[in-house]
Amino acid sequence: MSILRAERLKAYYISEIFGIKRTVRAVDEVSMDVDNNEIFGIAGESGCGKSTLIKALLGIVKPPLTILGGEVNYDLGDKRFNIFSLSQKESKNIRWEYISYIPQSSMSVLNPVRRIRDSFKSFINAHKKMGKSEFNSLVEEHLNLLGLPTEVLNAYPHQLSGGMRQRVTIALATILRPKVIFADEPSTALDVVVQRGVIQLLKDIQQEQKNTIILVTHDMAIHANICDRIAIMYAGKIIEEAKTQEIFKHPLHPYTKYLIGSLPRIGDKSYRVSAPGSPPPLSNLPSGCSFHPRCPYITERCKSDAPSLVEVGNNHKVACFLASKEG
Amino acid sequence: MEQNNKLLDVKNLIKVFVIGSGFVRSKITAVENVSFELQMNKPEIFTLAGESGSGKTTLARMILGFIPPTSGSISYKGKEISKLNGREMELWFMKEVQPVFQNPFETFNPLKKVDSYLYETAINYGIASKKDAHKFIDESLNLVGLSLQEVAGRYPHEFSGGQLQRISIARALITKPSLLIADEPVSMVDASLKMSICNLFKELKERQGVSIIYITHDLATAYYVSDRIAIMFRGNIVELGPVEKILTDPKHPYTKVLRDSVPEPDPERRWQGRIELSSFEEREYQSKGCRFAGRCPYVMDICKNKLPEDILLDGRMVKCHLYGSDSNKTVS
Repeated sequence: MSILRAERLKAYYISEIFGIKRTVRAVDEVSMDVDNNEIFGIAGESGCGKSTLIKALLGIVKPPLTILGGEVNYDLGDKRFNIFSLSQKESKNIRWEYISYIPQSSMSVLNPVRRIRDSFKSFINAHKKMGKSEFNSLVEEHLNLLGLPTEVLNAYPHQLSGGMRQRVTIALATILRPKVIFADEPSTALDVVVQRGVIQLLKDIQQEQKNTIILVTHDMAIHANICDRIAIMYAGKIIEEAKTQEIFKHPLHPYTKYLIGSLPRIGDKSYRVSAPGSPPPLSNLPSGCSFHPRCPYITERCKSDAPSLVEVGNNHKVACFLASKEG
Repeated sequence: MEQNNKLLDVKNLIKVFVIGSGFVRSKITAVENVSFELQMNKPEIFTLAGESGSGKTTLARMILGFIPPTSGSISYKGKEISKLNGREMELWFMKEVQPVFQNPFETFNPLKKVDSYLYETAINYGIASKKDAHKFIDESLNLVGLSLQEVAGRYPHEFSGGQLQRISIARALITKPSLLIADEPVSMVDASLKMSICNLFKELKERQGVSIIYITHDLATAYYVSDRIAIMFRGNIVELGPVEKILTDPKHPYTKVLRDSVPEPDPERRWQGRIELSSFEEREYQSKGCRFAGRCPYVMDICKNKLPEDILLDGRMVKCHLYGSDSNKTVS
């Protein structure tokens, strides 16, 4: 059963300065299904539109970001809704309690002049009314569960290390036991050892609270480690989607092949090749398939038509004329 | 000039930063007794790896001569850097040792044309006159797979991160350096272009004979590009040796933790087991003995009081009491 379904979602940044119109096609005709209780990974390079996709899925749409079409439907058991048709009050109620978000930089969530305890207070009070002792036991129990010392509650954000701050942010985002958690590069700014701790924490939470995580990161190795399914984004579109094992074993899209083939591995010094060229700017995309200027298997059709995401069997979807013909 | 077969000789280097002033002063030892050397006539890629705060960037800045060491010495081709006069520094050392920085978007001023940096480097170091500078610039751009024609007259925003990083490497190559110091050169570059920069470093080493000090936190790319690696932890090199040995068979407990934390890009080989994180990192800087003692699974009493010696073991250096004199493996 899918908990989140996006259909032909189109989110562009449209700005007009002195009569010059500029359109950035950050999310272009994206359809995706996320199942209940899975970890769904979204991979892609910087500037491919993955953060904008998250914003659109969360319903945080502020100009110049404009939704030009498509729907985002949530089915959270007792609550079903289209995220764009919610009133401001409704979306306020849903945020954090049903749909939560873990940002990359934890400093932007935690107020630097307030103790961690106060951040927890304002988070919880916005959704649930509870007494002081109930609040204390709820927060302490949650922190204990995540293996964090309860002393952090009395600390200010700057007194904590980067890794600890990120873990506190995760604790904050999950305290109301949300059904869906969006994590946008949650471990990118951290050291490897701490990164492992943070990813471990996310996985623990998902198993304990039985919720769904949508994990966005450019790091394919992280995806390989915790995701059940992965979608690869390139130039505002999802170009391939499959189970983690499947996509690492049989990548079909030429871009995915480069992305996975070029990953360095400890213990293997064989020559790695990067994809030629560089990603196109979203404001000026090439015609047809956006990858065609970099693709070694280009055909005439690729220059004029954009391939759509089609299933080629084994729940493996790909947007490439070459691969879908073979399948 | 003193004859010596060492390209770079770093000995007992220490850097202490004093924070605050007056009565509220505290000291942070960013680099604590670091020694290593690079050989002349044997170009290699030497990796300094470690977490943030391990002192790797401070070390690089001292080698580049940007900040003076608190004590210890750095000799380049037999000459001590701190004793060079201003003229030698500019005309010789700065030509020989060139930096490549982390963020290519910050390396270049967005309001200046990219090629102006290349011309400035060529002319200010006296490599070429204004007339024939373009020839030298084109040559070094060719080395990184670009040409002056592609670059001339364009601004930084017209290039991708990967291209800008190539240009920044080309700029460093104009002076024909023997040593490049690259501080996290690929961490800001797109995933699909990362390996092309890594391959470029390998080519420069093999074809141009340039030695490279590659500073990174990414052990997977370090394994791919480098010949030797030094693992830094809280200002100390805890393990140093050939990259194959250190990363496939780590001896120091910290290297083991670090190695195990690198995610494998392979869904069949996910992380096994769990790790503990330290809650209070500041204490590690101030502890008297081994800095890793607080987190080490093999910690002994001696670790908490005494900083371990450098121990030679299985073709590498390890700084750990586990392999210390009790087991008679010490080589002084």
